[in-house]
Amino acid sequence: MRPTRLGLAAALLLIAGGPAAAWEAPRAKPQRIVSLNLCADELLLRLVGPERLAAVTWLARDPRASTVAALAARVPVNHGTAEEILPLNPDLIVAGRYTTRVAVGLLTRLEAPLLELDVPQSVAGVAEQIRGLARAVGEPDRGEALVADLLSRLDALPPAAPGPRPTAVVLRPNGFVAGSGSLVDELLTRAGLENMADRLPLGSQGALPLEAIILGGADVLIVDAAPDAPPSLAGALLLHPALRAMKRQVRTLSLPSRLWTCPGPQIAEAAERLAAAREARP
Amino acid sequence: MTAAATWESRIPYPALVAGLTGLALALCAVSAAVGYVPFDLGAALSDWLAGRPTLGALVLAELRLPRALLGLLVGFSLGLTGAAMQGWLRNPLAEPGLVGVSSAAALGAVIVFYSGLSAALSLALPLGGMAGAVTAAVLLNLMAARGAGTTALVIGGIAINSLAGSLTALALNLAPNPYAALEIVFWLMGSLADRGTDQLWLVLPPMLAGWALCLSGARALDALTLGEDAAHSLGFDLTGLRVRLIAGAALAVGSAVSVTGAVGFVGLVAPHLMRPLAGARPGRLLLLAGLAGACLTLAADIAVRLMPTRPELKLGVVTALIGAPFLIVLIARLRREEA
Repeated sequence: MRPTRLGLAAALLLIAGGPAAAWEAPRAKPQRIVSLNLCADELLLRLVGPERLAAVTWLARDPRASTVAALAARVPVNHGTAEEILPLNPDLIVAGRYTTRVAVGLLTRLEAPLLELDVPQSVAGVAEQIRGLARAVGEPDRGEALVADLLSRLDALPPAAPGPRPTAVVLRPNGFVAGSGSLVDELLTRAGLENMADRLPLGSQGALPLEAIILGGADVLIVDAAPDAPPSLAGALLLHPALRAMKRQVRTLSLPSRLWTCPGPQIAEAAERLAAAREARP
Repeated sequence: MTAAATWESRIPYPALVAGLTGLALALCAVSAAVGYVPFDLGAALSDWLAGRPTLGALVLAELRLPRALLGLLVGFSLGLTGAAMQGWLRNPLAEPGLVGVSSAAALGAVIVFYSGLSAALSLALPLGGMAGAVTAAVLLNLMAARGAGTTALVIGGIAINSLAGSLTALALNLAPNPYAALEIVFWLMGSLADRGTDQLWLVLPPMLAGWALCLSGARALDALTLGEDAAHSLGFDLTGLRVRLIAGAALAVGSAVSVTGAVGFVGLVAPHLMRPLAGARPGRLLLLAGLAGACLTLAADIAVRLMPTRPELKLGVVTALIGAPFLIVLIARLRREEA
């Protein structure tokens, strides 16, 4: 569910699942769309009306994980199993590249109309994915509007002051950091911060010990937190007393995961909060 | 046993305790000095003592020292309870991990953590561990009363271990966090990585209380070597001893497991290493085994950070790599003695 961690520097790929021949040309406007992935939920709920969505994932209704919980309340939910999907007789199934692989495998063998979304690693990739999905559901204009809104908000970010940019490190559950070449890295840059993950004492790969992050010497510590999330050991690390103490010495921003886990218009808000943290005095 | 007697006469008990204490404290200092990022320990120490809020002082006070001290506390708890259980059950295989006390403590901690209870009340985590540990210890007492054969004890331990394991799986399945099962697999291996001061203060009081309870049974354990009737006629209250040891083991192991996960085999290896030095005095063995357990745990925790594996090996994996062959040798020796 945190595919950006994979650090895949892949450009956006919209991949039709299954053998090419099985991919029926989708009707101009699919009417019973099913989503198997939270990130697909987020985009679909913004692109098409609830009457055309046969089901989104149960995660979409959780306001801690989803930015479209209110919209999802009007749509039935599924839990990512093929058994739930087939009786809905969907005319378009949207899945994530790395999630619900068992269901996707079965749906592929059944030659269901399947669309798989990759995980974009750049703002350009996000825009391309929004446009591609909008075309697939027959709403290219709404897609363009979402992209235009996203890009204009990113362009409207306050320009960085002259001189060296403040350095930042993004700490994620379990002690992972956001490395270079990721979407988060680009959002940091656009917000006028310099991602110093690659200059940490132990690099930016894998789960890092907290002391490597603390002694890394970033100007701004950004904690990728999910407040009110169900208890997890991964999240407990972000509540470590050493980080609490560090907050008294270093500018710290807590940014909810839901704002930048999925590609979508919500990443503009993430960038705005990052830019505000850059401007804040320690 | 002549070798043991020579050893005993050669090294007096107070000198042994002093030497092991010194070694444990030295390992504690090494543990605080060893880390992933080289930094100026002296400067950090003086900053910390002077109250200067530098990042070095923060790392020392909030990461390195809690880790070292928790290693000391957890190791002492495991070694001590291992010796207490071996003395009480008069069975060389009794150990919190093997007989299921650790896994039951882990079950208690898992339930409390994933239900969100520990987020509301942080003390709930060690309390959950203790509740699990005391349940297992009482069950064990029912199944394999003192003096019961090794077979009964091991079977009882297997039963408790598998029951606790399956209930842990059930609790994880019901947990609201979809990654609970995944992350708990690693947690159950035991680790001291990135533990903090809040956990240290949380487990210190119950551990000290558990140690006091276990150590208070020292003389009764010595008397127990003469047999139950003899110990009874010497005026020792054996029911009281059993209650003290169960409560002490539950307090110490329950709180230890709730912060580090199950670090296995320390409670088995430490008493056996120290037994030749303690002579035939299970009472004296308690303190020695505790100190040896602390040394073993600290040394293993230093080793995982010096090894080039990243992320570091789990502490419980290292203690198991040392402890499992030890257990095999021990069983082979037991069989020879029984034959």
